[in-house]
Amino acid sequence: MAACALIGGCALQEPAPSGKPAEKPLGPGEVLSVPAAEDAVVIGKSTKADVRAALGEPIALDFASGYEVWVYRDPKRELVLLFPPSGILAKTRLR
Amino acid sequence: MSARSLLCAAAVLACSSAALAEEAVVVTAVRDPVKKSYRKMLEGAALFKERRHLAPEATLRFRLLPREPDARMQGVELEVAADSLAIPLKVAPDHTFALEVSRVAAKENAQVMPNRRAGTMTWRADVRTPGLPADTRRLGDLRLECEVGMKSGLISRYPRGLFDVFDALFPDTPEYCSRERKPRYLFFAERPLFGVTLVHGARREALPVAMLYRGASEDREWKKDRYCDCSAVIDRAYFVPLSDKSWPDDTRVELEYMDGGS
Repeated sequence: MAACALIGGCALQEPAPSGKPAEKPLGPGEVLSVPAAEDAVVIGKSTKADVRAALGEPIALDFASGYEVWVYRDPKRELVLLFPPSGILAKTRLR
Repeated sequence: MSARSLLCAAAVLACSSAALAEEAVVVTAVRDPVKKSYRKMLEGAALFKERRHLAPEATLRFRLLPREPDARMQGVELEVAADSLAIPLKVAPDHTFALEVSRVAAKENAQVMPNRRAGTMTWRADVRTPGLPADTRRLGDLRLECEVGMKSGLISRYPRGLFDVFDALFPDTPEYCSRERKPRYLFFAERPLFGVTLVHGARREALPVAMLYRGASEDREWKKDRYCDCSAVIDRAYFVPLSDKSWPDDTRVELEYMDGGS
């Protein structure tokens, strides 16, 4: 939970500390830190389930070919992940 | 534009009448065929000549692309059909073709027609500078492709105001390609894309994913879009910053594909 909280997807499942206004929940494809998100995935190893568990719901584009492109963003950067039909992460691009 | 200038302009197309005669094809009649104006395509060819400074070494062809997922692209036949004549055009294995030049066809307002029904294919101009590295395009070539494509009336457009209200200010003219507000002219790579990077000298910039796949990442309803002529090849589609003059015409556009190498 601690690692996930640093990155994004489930960070705001934690109750807000009393006295502070609740922060806006992260939406699909939103993470707190894209570099940290990139560190949390491994090309050739991470599955879609692994990535979803670590980073939360992506903006997902599923093509007829069976390839999927997943996108995560923080306010400044963008992480794009490529899953071939095998479902194992094949490529990443940080922008 | 006069018929003479149209014919002169079309002469820039690499096309041999003799070769065409030897490899003539017969276009089977199709109900409700997709077709384009021969005159407008010649006007596009004329513009290619006028605007050559964008791509001084390039040649012009036209390209057919599938518009439906199950569109058959093998065996596509194409002809210039006028009242008094029909001129077969040779379609290369990569689905590109050059125009045959005919004064009569221009005068008779001929149509360029493949043996496929409307809605199954889309069209683009294809401007290529020879000698570029593999999987690399040149920004000036793409700028000229856009201008010629618009001039030739090749692009299937959204109904006015539906997708981009500002499009109404820029009718289907070459000026669309250089408008200050980012023109959304779709290009198509040979294979499904993972990334597009602009390179000029030491400057290198990956395009955001919003400029790939027709901007699908910004549109949850992208699969329901029935107007885009990209639905069958959306994973090959990309925009480039056509009107961003900070990127010169000789900027390299490097394409990285999903299936392995760049």
